[in-house]
Amino acid sequence: MTVTPSRASFRARHPTRFLILALLLVLLLLVVAPLLVVAINAVKSPADYAAHGPLALPGHLHWKGVVDFWNRVDFGLKLWNSFITSLVVAVLGVVLSVCNAYALGVGRVKGRIWFLVFFLIANLLPQEALVYPLYHLSKQLGLYDSLFSIIIIFTVVQSAFGTYLLTSVYTEFPKELLEAASIDGAGRWRALWRVVVPVSRPTLAVLFTFFFIWTWNEFFLPLIFLISNDNQTVPVALGVLQGDRLMDATTTSASALIGIVPAMVFFLLFQRTLTRGVAAGAIK
Amino acid sequence: MALSRRGLLAGALATTTSIALAACGDGSSSADEGADAKTLTLWHYEGPTSAMGVAWNKAIEIFKRKHPGVEVKFEEKSFEQIQQNAQMILNSDSAPDIMEYNKGNATAGLLSKQGLLTDLSDQFGKYGWDKLLSGSLQTTAKYDDDGIMGSGRFFGVPNYGEYVMVYYNKALFDKYEIAVPTTFDQFTAAMDTFVKNKVTPLAVGGAEYPAQQIFYELALAKADRAFVDDYQLYKNKVDFNGPVISYGAQAFADWVSKGYLGKDSAGIKAEDMGVSWEQGKFPILISGSWWYGRFVNEVKNFEWGTFLFPGNTLHPGSSGNLWVVPQKSRAKSLAYDFIDITMSPEVQNLLGNSGGVPVAADPAAITDAKNKELIENFTKLTSSDGLAFYPDWPAPGYYDVLVAGVQGLINGSKTPQAFRDEIAKPYQENLADLGK
Repeated sequence: MTVTPSRASFRARHPTRFLILALLLVLLLLVVAPLLVVAINAVKSPADYAAHGPLALPGHLHWKGVVDFWNRVDFGLKLWNSFITSLVVAVLGVVLSVCNAYALGVGRVKGRIWFLVFFLIANLLPQEALVYPLYHLSKQLGLYDSLFSIIIIFTVVQSAFGTYLLTSVYTEFPKELLEAASIDGAGRWRALWRVVVPVSRPTLAVLFTFFFIWTWNEFFLPLIFLISNDNQTVPVALGVLQGDRLMDATTTSASALIGIVPAMVFFLLFQRTLTRGVAAGAIK
Repeated sequence: MALSRRGLLAGALATTTSIALAACGDGSSSADEGADAKTLTLWHYEGPTSAMGVAWNKAIEIFKRKHPGVEVKFEEKSFEQIQQNAQMILNSDSAPDIMEYNKGNATAGLLSKQGLLTDLSDQFGKYGWDKLLSGSLQTTAKYDDDGIMGSGRFFGVPNYGEYVMVYYNKALFDKYEIAVPTTFDQFTAAMDTFVKNKVTPLAVGGAEYPAQQIFYELALAKADRAFVDDYQLYKNKVDFNGPVISYGAQAFADWVSKGYLGKDSAGIKAEDMGVSWEQGKFPILISGSWWYGRFVNEVKNFEWGTFLFPGNTLHPGSSGNLWVVPQKSRAKSLAYDFIDITMSPEVQNLLGNSGGVPVAADPAAITDAKNKELIENFTKLTSSDGLAFYPDWPAPGYYDVLVAGVQGLINGSKTPQAFRDEIAKPYQENLADLGK
């Protein structure tokens, strides 16, 4: 007797399930479509593109666009520049955020609300507004056209967000843990590194991943501060193909493809830390 | 499009701080400074396979041969980076010794006004560049104290030119037995034939520069040099209800209603316009010489040709971008030498043979028949002083005004009168800002 209702409900659920699946497939297609178009055009010869348009499948695989672009902008060097700046910014940004948030969230410094408001405003400030002050500063310090300028700027920019986020996490930090630590004779410094950081590690991993990807994708400030081709990062190098009036569609696709691959690889590598970090937040 | 949106953004940012920057520039330098320099840092933003890229590579080669002790540090820059940052770069120690830069009031004009570019007037006479460049090509190389082109001192040297012409698909012309038109009436008759056969004759990109250039081309049919001087160089007030602009707006609206261009072209981008013509979907494309090299390389499925817009003596077009020497250049005399090499017959002819439009080539040395046609048409234009520049040049932000206006004409949401009023306002406001 118990079988009948379950079978009935299975039958009833079946069409909606199918509908949801179809809907999800359409959504997936919508999300993946631009990437597919990029991939298709990256391996298409310019003449093929001209004759059949952007949506047709390539007649044969044409890797020359990718190879030419790689050599033209010395892409290996750009990858290294992007990697090293993103990594240093992500590490320094997380460290700085932790120190700030420890003082503001756990330490409950006087006027911390105003600090947070300040960080929030710094976060919302458009980068265009920062350009000229930063330009003059970096020129006086001799950091114009140097990766250091980008590292310093983005460490500060990212940690402004990190401080804001981590502070709200640390205000909720369980008091008992800190009290236990201080009873065990741990000072503030030890409590930070032995208790607070390990407990909030999943959140820090998420911050690290975001800082890395955000810095990797930055275009505007690197475009302005990294003048020499030897110092440029990946997004700036991709700009070479955007002409005055013309765009080279196939080479642009090729460059877009090799431009997003590193970010995707990084994302896949850190996907687990991301889900873990988000889940950790959910349990709290 | 010297005054593209990106350029204007940079320009807008630039003006706010121009005073601060100008204060930092040091202007002391003599003409023979840097004659013993051991490096020449050179920037441009043309692709390595473009006509300019090919010709300038050759120029670098020749330069190295002539100056064996000098190291040439060439960097290919992005258009965007130079557009956004030229002012900041030229005011720093990272400035190159010579670079390619956009012509126009908002770009080269602005930098010249701020004292960031070297005055090349003496070099023009000394090397004889003034004799190689015809009048309308010199217009974009000269800027006055307010940074407005057309008069004053020379701040740049153009190597190449560009102009708007009619590209046509020979296969489709043959299919409907249409002869290449030589008069305006024949041209419209040809388009009528296409419309009768259910073919939309014109590939138009209404979302970007192409549509406004067609409007300007139509208006120029009724214009003379005095109108161009008034409109572009602010010599006299322009009457937007006068015969020239009225005719252009009306004719464009007529072309739309006769079906010469599709109503959906209001949303088409220039790139898609070009590709649709390359695919043979439209028989005619009215656009600039910057497409030429690309069509030569990419169009394999049909024969094509070009002709000047029939009936006009004036056409949209101008010099190409300029070689400029930053005020902070450490190798000025080497930079002058390099510019002189780019103007030499060897480099100019190579530019022509690579599908570009040289300013000082020997037509006899151009071997490719197609390129010859391109260059001969340009020579025809310059010798009759026929370059009328581009419609969006006169005012900052005018590009977007014209795009929106012409889109209104294409989809029929605006009458020619409303269009004229709409484009008149920002133009007159800019004049007022300039105090003219």
